[in-house]
Amino acid sequence: MTVTAAWRDGARRVNRAGLVLAGVWVMTLLISVPLALVLRGMIADHLGDSLAADQAASGVNYEWMQEFADQASGIGVTFKPTILGFGAILDNLSAFFDATRRPLVVAAAAAVYIGLWLFVAGGIIDRLARDRAVRAHGFFAASGVYFWRFLRLGLIQLAVYGLLFGAVHEALFDRVYRRAIHDMSVERNAFAVRFALYIVFVLLVGAANLIFDYAKIRAVVEDRRSMISALGASARFVRRNGAAAGLYLLNVGVFLMCIALYGAVAPGASGSGAAMSAGLVVGQAYVLARLWIKLVFWASGAALFQSRLAHAGYVAAPVPVWPDSAAADAILPADDRDLSQTSASL
Amino acid sequence: MRVLAVSVCAAALVASSPSAQTAPGAISPPLSPRNANYSIAARLDPASRTITGEERIVWRNITTTTATELRFHLYWNGWRNARTTFMRERALGGSTSDANRPAGDWASIDVTSVKLVSPSAADLTASQHFITPDDDNTDDQTVMALPLPAPVGPGGEVTLDVTWTAHVPRTFARTGAIGNFFFIVQWFPKLGVLQPDGWNCHQFHAGTEFFSDYGSYDVTLTVPRQWTVGATGLQRERRDNTDGTTSHRYYQDDVHDFAWTTSPDLVERMARFEHPALPAVDMRLLLQPEHAGQADRHFDATRTTLKYYGEWYGAYPYGHITIVDPAFQSGAGGMEYPTLFTAGTRWLAPRHVTSPEGVTVHEAGHQFWYGIVGNNEFEDAWMDEGFNTFSTARAVAQVYDPNYLALRYFGGFVPWVFRDVVMARETEGNGLAGYRRAAKSDIQATPTFRYFPSTGGNITYFKTALWLNTLERWLGWRALQKIMSTHFDRWKFKHPKPGDFFAIANEAGGRDLTWFFDRVYRSADVFDYGVDGLSASQEESGFRSTVVVRRFGEATFPVDVRMIFDDGERVTEHWDGADRWKSYSYVRPSSIMSAEVDPDHVLLLDVNYTNNSKTLHPSAPKAATKWAMKWMVWLQDCLLSWAALV
Repeated sequence: MTVTAAWRDGARRVNRAGLVLAGVWVMTLLISVPLALVLRGMIADHLGDSLAADQAASGVNYEWMQEFADQASGIGVTFKPTILGFGAILDNLSAFFDATRRPLVVAAAAAVYIGLWLFVAGGIIDRLARDRAVRAHGFFAASGVYFWRFLRLGLIQLAVYGLLFGAVHEALFDRVYRRAIHDMSVERNAFAVRFALYIVFVLLVGAANLIFDYAKIRAVVEDRRSMISALGASARFVRRNGAAAGLYLLNVGVFLMCIALYGAVAPGASGSGAAMSAGLVVGQAYVLARLWIKLVFWASGAALFQSRLAHAGYVAAPVPVWPDSAAADAILPADDRDLSQTSASL
Repeated sequence: MRVLAVSVCAAALVASSPSAQTAPGAISPPLSPRNANYSIAARLDPASRTITGEERIVWRNITTTTATELRFHLYWNGWRNARTTFMRERALGGSTSDANRPAGDWASIDVTSVKLVSPSAADLTASQHFITPDDDNTDDQTVMALPLPAPVGPGGEVTLDVTWTAHVPRTFARTGAIGNFFFIVQWFPKLGVLQPDGWNCHQFHAGTEFFSDYGSYDVTLTVPRQWTVGATGLQRERRDNTDGTTSHRYYQDDVHDFAWTTSPDLVERMARFEHPALPAVDMRLLLQPEHAGQADRHFDATRTTLKYYGEWYGAYPYGHITIVDPAFQSGAGGMEYPTLFTAGTRWLAPRHVTSPEGVTVHEAGHQFWYGIVGNNEFEDAWMDEGFNTFSTARAVAQVYDPNYLALRYFGGFVPWVFRDVVMARETEGNGLAGYRRAAKSDIQATPTFRYFPSTGGNITYFKTALWLNTLERWLGWRALQKIMSTHFDRWKFKHPKPGDFFAIANEAGGRDLTWFFDRVYRSADVFDYGVDGLSASQEESGFRSTVVVRRFGEATFPVDVRMIFDDGERVTEHWDGADRWKSYSYVRPSSIMSAEVDPDHVLLLDVNYTNNSKTLHPSAPKAATKWAMKWMVWLQDCLLSWAALV
């Protein structure tokens, strides 16, 4: 299977799993809506009955925003003009590449969100790898089966990413970068250095991400229990199949196209009526697109892996079955009970 | 050829200038007392970053007091080590990053000989010593005292020959070098200012700048051949030496400082400012090659300054100005020197964002407030920085409106313009947010060098700009312009003190403003008026509406209170703002809809404008929902960015 065929197959698998996409969107809302409501309360309290709210409702009241910022705490400190339109995306991308610390509340929300992703990752990959409906109980059973494995893998990921965003980032951008530009008097040369270091950093993070992705895919498709061996198998697969990296790059390209497209349509301050609703729709469409792309990363990876080492839709483990409780077993008709096990145990 | 062209242009200027110039940089008749005159010869060795210099100083005592000693600034010793007053104050303000510099990045200036030439010859080298008039920091060597063998009475004159060696630092406070870009300022042993109560020669402080007498500067600078030189004044002579260097001689009358820059990389552009009622000015721009496409933006901003400041306050008299675009990381951007200033831009500088225009207008504006009106920047920095911040915002608003907020990402390299966020002159231009955060940090009347280092700028720049703009809105622009232009005219080429400005404000403003200056200058009290209560109830005769307004801050100012009723009727009350609160009650056919204190935003120093109004039909829920939704998308994107790692 070629890179583009794997991507197309992955996109098709995600499109056929609409409920999975809807589910992760709801999961995103579950984290973001409560915090947005908290911020809404802060803003409403600060504006009170003031006429300043009129301008804030109809456009941007920058003077009020600054007054708000001067007294804000908690998530309130993140309420700045940078949240407007495409600035929000640049702000987050920049914070990602520059390893900018976020306020504790945002970091805590991100930690919970990542935890939820860890929980559902097994179910999602299982569903996308099988490329057929597994119903809710199958999805959550798979999520539960793989959660503990992915939690162990997550600890390794935490260590690796902690190293990358900690020591490696610091070495690249605090030491190498500063030393390289120490006597530089031309800004674009300094930017070229920083850009080159961003590429190095992205390659390292991307390589780690790629290996972790295939570790998860192999863990699900091959029903691996050891995450260390899954990582080793993933690394071997990536090394022996250049298409894996090519597919990853293609997915990154799609992600960048999504960003660029949003840049063209990102809503600005707008008013508080229909424009606000339209802005919300565009914003959520962007979030859905990002989620779709994230799922395609896994789906296309699974398709590629299956095409190289198995076959389409192959997953070693049977569809996980939600176990019946003992009580349910007790009320089954005697004929339906599995007496062979009882006999055997006898 | 370019040098020749500059000289020719300067000569052509003579006819149109208010003061006839006989040679490049010369002005006749004198505009200033010219009592501190310097002839300097200096050589730069870029490899060792060393300057060796010799100067002849001719100083005349123009005070009524007798001088028994001379006092010199040796500014570069402020960066000699981490124990100087400059560095200690910087650390007090929270900036400690420079303390660990390698030895070669620090600066020094050592006077190697001082000889009295007249009225009698004497070698005074051994008698030089350091003093610390502002603190007891014996590690500070930024002021040198030199006892005179004989006192110099009023009208008396001394001539001295001084030689020195200086090490050019990696840039501190706009001074120094990076790569082969050298920006050399406050670089020679320089006299303080003798005043009736003695020498005014402060140590170098982290938060303040400079103060000197006016004079003529005749300076010859020797630098490597092919290196471009920009300097205060105009070039009179250029001579190639046999050792691969070139000597550039610059001259300027009626200035109180001399700054210069040199680099082999500077790109030179020329343009001219012309105006029907103001003297023409030749503009020389020395640009970094990567900013070559921004030449017109620098010229336009400088023209804006020369035009508006010229029309508002008075003419720029020198006929020439040099704009220096400093190198990346030079730290030399945004600084003023006589007839020369540094702007400051970025490789990516989007349109409709006032960079480089804002800084260019501001630093060009210092030619008026600092250059021509020479207040004491150690003690009353607000008189130039504040006046100029106000004037910059006003000039920028004339030409560059609207301009937008831009934020920078990815290490500060990539700008993004927020076209929804328009920068308002009154708040952004005057720095309201900065003032609000430090409103009580210092009383403005405190000598500036004693302001807390990290917040002093907010009082110096922003508080002054805000109270000047408040005066403009309260008295009207014509009245304020009369005050400022009278001050400019009366104190050009002199050293005004705060009381001089206040006296002119009372005189030209046509009313006693002492109470206002008591609040904004002699106090750290803040202004904060607000609507505390708003209610309406139905009675037989109609609606009874009640408004309670309150003074939350300590400072007082007369304000309007505007009530708007449901039927559109508007009622404006005038409140002297003295009491802590005041209530208004109305019986009208319609209920009150809203009340607002200072609806025209006259009092720009009000630190909380959100509480200035109340309405019975608040939009806060709508506004809060809208902004919470926008913020939610930012948060979701933030979450997705990190979830990409799962």
